[in-house]
Amino acid sequence: MKYIALILLVWFSNNQTSQDIYVCKNAKINLFSSAPLEDIDATSNGGTSVFNASTGDLAFSVPIRSFQFQKSLMQEHFNENYMESDKFPNASFKGKVQEKIDVQKDGSFPVNVTGVFEVHGVKQNRTIKGTINISKGAVSLSSAFTVACKDHQIEIPKLVFQKIAETIQVKVAANYTAYKK
Amino acid sequence: MKKHVLLVAFSLLAGITMAQQKPAAKDQSAVDDSLLNSLGGNTKAEPVIATFKSTRLINTETTETNKKNTLNFIVTHRFGDIGGAEGGSKTLWGFDNSSDIYIGFEYGLTDNLDIDFGRSKFEQLLELGFKYNFLHQTSDNSMPVAMTVIGKVGLKPYSVTTNVFDDYTNRLNYFTQLIIARKFSSRFSFEIAPSFLRTNLPFPFLPGNEKNIFSLSAAGRLKVTKHMGIVLDYAHPFSNFRNNSTSPKFYAPSGIGIEIETGGHVFTLNFSNNQAISPINYLSDTESKWTKGQYRLGFTISRVFDLNSKHKGTYK
Repeated sequence: MKYIALILLVWFSNNQTSQDIYVCKNAKINLFSSAPLEDIDATSNGGTSVFNASTGDLAFSVPIRSFQFQKSLMQEHFNENYMESDKFPNASFKGKVQEKIDVQKDGSFPVNVTGVFEVHGVKQNRTIKGTINISKGAVSLSSAFTVACKDHQIEIPKLVFQKIAETIQVKVAANYTAYKK
Repeated sequence: MKKHVLLVAFSLLAGITMAQQKPAAKDQSAVDDSLLNSLGGNTKAEPVIATFKSTRLINTETTETNKKNTLNFIVTHRFGDIGGAEGGSKTLWGFDNSSDIYIGFEYGLTDNLDIDFGRSKFEQLLELGFKYNFLHQTSDNSMPVAMTVIGKVGLKPYSVTTNVFDDYTNRLNYFTQLIIARKFSSRFSFEIAPSFLRTNLPFPFLPGNEKNIFSLSAAGRLKVTKHMGIVLDYAHPFSNFRNNSTSPKFYAPSGIGIEIETGGHVFTLNFSNNQAISPINYLSDTESKWTKGQYRLGFTISRVFDLNSKHKGTYK
C-alpha cells in the first residue's frame, strides 16, 4: 500500500506542471499614436497568449490583419505599406517574467518581462513592464509600452511623414484561463 | 520481499520516465509555439487587400471599390497632342489644350458595392453606374483572382441641329465590364477586363459604324517603392468597322504612367494616345496614334473622404 502511495506521489508531482499553464485567445491589443495631422488608433481582440506560471515563460502573438482601424483606408495602408502583413503576418513576444509569481496568492504584481519582441520581421531584445493580477485563481495581465518604428525597419516616407508618429504606444490586456490538455 | 523490490523498481522507473518526459514538456518555447498555434487565428486565409491603390489605373478601372460610406473624388485631365499637327511649341506641347476632363464621384454603398457618377468634357458625357466586387482573391490561393463587374449608362445631353437625337434613346450608351485581377506579389498586380459597349447611336456617327463593340483590356501595376509604381494600360476594341476604316483610322487606346500614393490621395501621371477618359468614348473613338506624336500628358487625382460621422479627423 505504501508503495502504491509512493507511485501516485511520483505521478502527481510530475504532472503538476501542466496545471500551471494559462492561455488567452482574445487578448486585446491597442495601438495609438498622436501625430500633427491625425491620430492613429487601432485595436485587435485577436491576440493569443500562453503564460506558464511555474517557469515564468510568457508568449504573445497577434495577427497584424486583426487590427481594426476606424478608417478603412488607413487600415489598408497599415497592412500594405507599413507592416507588410502579407510577408510578416504576426507580431510576437516571447519572454520570461523575472519575478516569481504565485498564482495561489491574490493581488496585483508589477512584473518585468524580458524577451524577444518581433514586429515587421525584426527582432528586438526588450524588457517590458506589466502588471499581473490574480483574483481567486483568475490570472490577467496588462501592459503599456512604446515601439519605435525605426527599431523595426518600418519606413515612413518623406511625403507622408507628418501624418505618422515615429513611436507607437501599445497597450495589452489579456485574461487567462487555465489550460487543460 | 521480492514483491517489494519489484514495486520500488517500478516506482523508480515511473519516476525516470516522468523525469525524461519533463525536460521535453518543459522546452517552453516549443510548448508555447504549439500552444499558440493550436489556439488558432494565426494561419487563417485572409482576403488579399490592396491589389491596386486606386479604383482606376490610366484608362481601365481596377477591381478595387470604395469602402462603405467613403467618397472618392476623381479629377482626370488629358492635355492636347504633344507632337504632330496639333502639338509642338505653338501649343506648349499640348499644355494649351485639353482633350478631355473628367470629374467623378464614387461612393461606397457597402464595402464591395459602389455607385459612380461622372461627367466628361468629351461628348459632354454624363455617366451613372454601379461597380460590384463579388469575388476576392485569398491569401491561400483557394481563390486565385478578384473579380469585379461594372455596369454604367452614359447620356450625351448636348443640343444638335441635325435630327440624329430626335429619338431620345439615341443619346444613351451602355457599358458593362468584367474585371479579373490578380495580385501576384506585393509589387505586381495585373488585370484583364473583357467588356461590351452599346452605343444606341454609333459613335462616331459614320456610315457602317457598329452599335455594339466587344473589347478586351489589359492593365498592370509594378511598384517601384511602397508608394510609387509604374502602370501600363491597353485596350483592344474588336470592331470590323474600326479595323477597316481608312478615314478616319482608329487605334487601340493605351497608356503608360506612374502612380504615387500619399495617404488619402493617389496621383497618376501618364502618357496616352487616347483623347477620351470614359470607356464609352475611348473604346469607340480613339483616332490618335503614338507614332504621329498624337499622345498626351494626362493626370488623375483621386482623393478619398471618409464620411462616417463618428470617424474624426481627415486622412490626407
